Amino acid sequence: MTEYFGTTVADIFATMPKRFKPEEAKEVDIAIGYEATGEGGGKWKATIKHGTLKVETVEGELTGCKTTIHTDAETFVGVTLGKIAALDALSSQKLRVAGDPKFLMLLLPKIFTPYAAPAKKPDAVTARDIIATIAERFRPEKAEGVAMTIGYDLAGEGGGKWTIVIREGKCAVREGLADPLTVKMTMEAKTYAGMMVGTIEAVTAFTSGQVKIEGDMAAAGATAKYFLKYVVPGATEAEELISLRVINSIEQRFATGPVMGRWFAGIREKKFLANRCPKCGRTQIPPREICAWCRVRVHEFVEVGPKGVVTHFDIVYFASPDPLTGAVRDTPYATAYVVFDGATEREAITLDLKQEDIPRLKEGARVRPVWAEVTTGSYRDLIGVELDEEEGSI
Amino acid sequence: MTMQEDHKDCFVLEGKMALPNQNFAGRLGSRFLIAIRDRKKIMGLKCNPCGKTFVPPREYCEKCWTKIADNWVELGTEGELVNFTVVRYGDRHLPKKPPYILGQIRLDGADTPLVHIVEGIDPRDVESGIRVKAVFAEKTTNTIMDIDHFEPV
Amino acid sequence: MKMHAKNRNVAIIGIGQTSLSSHKEDQNQAEMVHEAVRNALADAGLKIGDIDCIVHGNMELFEMQFAPDLWHSLGTGAYGKDEYRITTGGTTGATLVCAADNLVASGLYDTVLAIGMEKLQEGNTTGGITNMADPLWFRNLQTGALTGTTAQEIIDEFGEERAKRAAMRYRIMMDKHAMLNQRAHRRLGLEYSQMEDLMANSPPLVGELRLIHMCSQSDGACAMIFTSEEKVKQGTKNPPVWMRDHIQVHREETIPNLFGFNKPEVTHHLAARKLFARNGIQDPVAYFDVFEMYDPSAWWAVDWLREFFLLTGDEHLRMLEAGDFDMDGRIPINPSGGVIASNPIGATAMLRLAEAALQIRGDAGGHQIKKEVRHALASGFGGTFWSVLMILEKELNWQEVNHD
Repeated sequence: MTEYFGTTVADIFATMPKRFKPEEAKEVDIAIGYEATGEGGGKWKATIKHGTLKVETVEGELTGCKTTIHTDAETFVGVTLGKIAALDALSSQKLRVAGDPKFLMLLLPKIFTPYAAPAKKPDAVTARDIIATIAERFRPEKAEGVAMTIGYDLAGEGGGKWTIVIREGKCAVREGLADPLTVKMTMEAKTYAGMMVGTIEAVTAFTSGQVKIEGDMAAAGATAKYFLKYVVPGATEAEELISLRVINSIEQRFATGPVMGRWFAGIREKKFLANRCPKCGRTQIPPREICAWCRVRVHEFVEVGPKGVVTHFDIVYFASPDPLTGAVRDTPYATAYVVFDGATEREAITLDLKQEDIPRLKEGARVRPVWAEVTTGSYRDLIGVELDEEEGSI
Repeated sequence: MTMQEDHKDCFVLEGKMALPNQNFAGRLGSRFLIAIRDRKKIMGLKCNPCGKTFVPPREYCEKCWTKIADNWVELGTEGELVNFTVVRYGDRHLPKKPPYILGQIRLDGADTPLVHIVEGIDPRDVESGIRVKAVFAEKTTNTIMDIDHFEPV
Repeated sequence: MKMHAKNRNVAIIGIGQTSLSSHKEDQNQAEMVHEAVRNALADAGLKIGDIDCIVHGNMELFEMQFAPDLWHSLGTGAYGKDEYRITTGGTTGATLVCAADNLVASGLYDTVLAIGMEKLQEGNTTGGITNMADPLWFRNLQTGALTGTTAQEIIDEFGEERAKRAAMRYRIMMDKHAMLNQRAHRRLGLEYSQMEDLMANSPPLVGELRLIHMCSQSDGACAMIFTSEEKVKQGTKNPPVWMRDHIQVHREETIPNLFGFNKPEVTHHLAARKLFARNGIQDPVAYFDVFEMYDPSAWWAVDWLREFFLLTGDEHLRMLEAGDFDMDGRIPINPSGGVIASNPIGATAMLRLAEAALQIRGDAGGHQIKKEVRHALASGFGGTFWSVLMILEKELNWQEVNHD
């Protein structure tokens, strides 16, 4: 298979089940098709259904997929490894998505751990090398009062049999298996080395039966904390670049003041109250204390609407996360610029249009407000607008 | 004309901001954090012309602008508490329950203090000048909290 | 009213940039800033001790680090110096330049270092912008800087085919320029033959605004050094570039009232009209040799060319179609590839000025315009149509116009 950036497309699909996070995919029901063209390419289908994953290679047409990804093999590997920015590949059309690309960009990082090309260097490290460093990595302060013997039976090249004795704050390694043992772990020497250098995830190795444990299971789990992490000699630590992902959640409170407050007092009564500039006569929506054009104070309130005309609109296909909840909005949604009846010609306001009405939305359409069942004097009182078709469009 | 103060139409609306974001520690920052996480060692960077050792790490000496990014030195995990304050209010964004001591600790071999939490001593008894040592965290998070706290030697 | 009369002339004597990319995981923010600062000092042949004051800008909600001027001081060199921080959204980079220009022109400081930076990969910009919208009536409705309204207006005015071709021609032209700029972030290698395909198949974002039309999200920093005419006379390492004038125009706070039944004068037009009048520039297309424009999307760019150059009808489309805005055209737009190619927001508007200054110096490298550049225009943009327009000159020989 042709390698790009040291990885083949097949490698990426082969590791998919290992990288899958079933607990994050409980609500997901989707089939994703992949077509990678050129050398080393092929077609794959990943079916994710309520926490399960099935990956299969496909000969012929990709069928039954909600969304499909089409790209050349090199771009596919590049994007997967983060060597090529996904957005750039999408922009230049080197990567095409049939379906919602934004949906995939949010979903995939959630349900898969990132693909990491297997590091070449740690392969050279054998289980024997690692066992040899155990005594120097021992942390006596963590093992106070601990007395145990741990046996390792590691098969294959670089393997062997060892017993680690922890007693009275000291640690010793002996060849061969002592009797009795607190716990005995049997596995391939390669598996042990992989777990220690971090290329094999310990939990996966245990659950998939690659590691056989006899004796005290809890003791086996506790051993890690008595030792410092094994570091591959000569490996530069800076190869790992730390990135912290955080969500700062901050509560906010906003005061309307008495002038814009009238707007909210109005919509509590299902009325739109604008205030009229004494100089230029425009009806400010929402009302402001001062007309910024004429620089005069505005006192007079007038009721406008409740129906109005759509002057412009935006249909949004790309939903960014709602900053208030982190949830992603359903697409497409439409925001309409509406001038209420009785308002002056430039005083448009942006309002959400009912989703079912989007296909019939046109500039000049008449709309009427959609109110929340209970109005309390908040921006949530006015859900948005819907087409007012009884009167027909102008 | 005086303005009529009328608060009957004043509303206070609740909002929330929850934006996912990330922070890149950078190459030096990562080395610093990884040394704490994996080797339980605190590393500093030394400016030879100034003779000063900085922690947390920085690429350049802030006084003479010499590049010091490669001049790592291992610092002690013990040091002197040079200053402190006591945090007495609670907030979900804070790392510990109040009251707790937030200290500036000049580690052995360093010229700049490292800010961290001091535990194992009553806030009423703490004073500048005491010797403290780092206690490393069991569960690591790739942050400075991989040192869980400092406590008196 | 006294219109922006300067006490003394101000020149740009140092320019430094980092590369612009989608990921800078190997540098933290201070380290990235420092790279630009070092480059600017080296370009000016100065040391940090020669700097009297620092103006530092970014948009903190965009990368979610509070009080970045504090954390960045290791990189900015602000230790023991006067420092101002500017945080004006997309306009930040231009406001930085205006502030530095005014600080030197006023006589308060001789030499000022201005620094713009952004690491958009660390933050959540669209979320941030949406969250900054007025919570009382605009949150959750506006879509950050993504809007299809202008696209629809252009389509309504000029017809779908011509409008879509114009936006895509502009987009591909920007990519061709970016391909010449080694530092640019997005260099896609687009060809004009892809026009139809991109118009039909690029993923839609909002209305007719498609992914391909929109600017990038970049990490990067820019630093520039401004000094007085007196200092310039003592000698500079590189030729000085003169800050002839700048103008800032704000508008009332609501975006929707741009989109009622008729449109008020757009800030860009007002800025251009006032700036050219007070500098006696009758025909901006003939006067300027290059324009580095803040172009957040190809649709806005097409529309704004008409506003900035005070053109009417379809003059801007005809110029675009005739290749007047190409690298070798009458008035090249964004030889750097513009904001569409690279957009580290806090630095973006400053990069417009930096790139225009490099064109005047003849130091733009691969994307240097062939003909001599003597007069350059640069713009900044942010928020609810805050517009900044700046004029750069090669020679200190312009005619003062009576401001009255």
